[in-house]
Amino acid sequence: MTTRAVEPWIFEPLVKFVKEAGARLVLLMTPAGQVLAQHGFSRALDVMSAAALGAAIMASTDEIARQLRQPPFAGLNHQGERHGIFLAAVPTGRGRLVALVVYDLDASSLGLVQLFFDELAADLQAASPKDSVPKRVLAADFERELSDSLNTLFGR
Amino acid sequence: MSLVNFTTREITCKIVYYGPGRSGKTTNLHYIYGRVPDSRRGRMVSLATQTDRTLFFDFLPIDLGQISGFSTRFQLYTVPGQVYYNATRRLVLQGADGVVFVGDSQARQLDENLESLQNLQSNLLEHGVDIRTIPLVLQYNKQDLPRELILSPADLDDALNFRGVPSFSADALHGRGVFETLKGISELVLKKLAAGTAA
Repeated sequence: MTTRAVEPWIFEPLVKFVKEAGARLVLLMTPAGQVLAQHGFSRALDVMSAAALGAAIMASTDEIARQLRQPPFAGLNHQGERHGIFLAAVPTGRGRLVALVVYDLDASSLGLVQLFFDELAADLQAASPKDSVPKRVLAADFERELSDSLNTLFGR
Repeated sequence: MSLVNFTTREITCKIVYYGPGRSGKTTNLHYIYGRVPDSRRGRMVSLATQTDRTLFFDFLPIDLGQISGFSTRFQLYTVPGQVYYNATRRLVLQGADGVVFVGDSQARQLDENLESLQNLQSNLLEHGVDIRTIPLVLQYNKQDLPRELILSPADLDDALNFRGVPSFSADALHGRGVFETLKGISELVLKKLAAGTAA
C-alpha cells in the first residue's frame, strides 16, 4: 500500500497513524476537497472523487452545525458490513484539514481509529509549518501547452 | 484554491459550473466525460435526485497532462441550479479557482439568469471572494433553439456580462461550445495561478 503526501510534514504522522489504527485508506484534504496526502489509493483520479465526496459530507455537517448555532461536529462514523468510514477535521498550522479514514471491520474498529486519530491530530499540529514561500509555477508561455493538451484531450 | 505540489510537480484546480436550473451545467460535464479518453478522466460522480436533477453536485476530474512541467488536473463541479438548494450551492463554491456561468439563452429565462448571477455574487461573497476578481467565463447555452425563442449572444452579453469576460455560444447537448468554454476558463485559471505564485 502506498502513502503519498503533497507536503512532506504530513508523511510521517500519516504513516504512523495508518500502522497503529490499522486503516485501509486515508485521505487528508483541504475543506474544498484538495488532497494533501493519501494512503492506499492506486489511481490519482479516484482519490479526487473520494475527496470530493468526503469534503461535501464535511461541509454539509458543518453547515448543519452552523444553522444549529453550535460548534462543528467532532467527527462522523458510518459502519457498513465490511468497512467503516470515519470523517473528522484536524486543525493544523496550515489551516483546517479534513481526514477521511476507511477501515476494515475485521482488522480495526472505530475505537482504535478514534484513539489514534487524536494522536494524528496532535502530530500534525506539531509538525505543520506556519508559513509557505510562494514559488514560480508556470512559465509565461504556458497557454500554448495548455491549448495542445486540451486539443489532445478532445481529440482535435 | 489551486493545489501545487512542487515535489511531484502536480497542479490541481477546482472549476465550478454555475447557473440557473436546467441551463445545461450537467450536460456540459456529460459531454466532456464522453469525449475525454478513459485514461485521462476519473469517475463522474453525480449526487442527483430520483428525477435526475442535481441534488448536491456532479464531479468530474480530468487530467490535462503536462503544462510547464507540471502534471495538471482539473476538478469540474456543477452546482444544483434549483433555487431551493442554495445552501449546497454555496458549499460547492468553496475553494473554487474559476467559475463557468452557464446561462439559458431562452428569452423567458432571462430573469432566472440574472437571479442566478446575483446569487453567485452573494455566495462568493460569503466565501470572501469578489465576483469581479475570480476567473469567470459565461456560456450562453441552447443557442440551437429556434431564433424566436432565444436571445442572441450580443443581447445576453448586454444583460449578463458586466465584467466583459470571455463568453461562448453553446449547444452543450451536441457539444458545440463546450470545449471552447473549458479552454477559456482553463486559461484564465492558470493565468491567475501563474501571476499569483510568481517569485
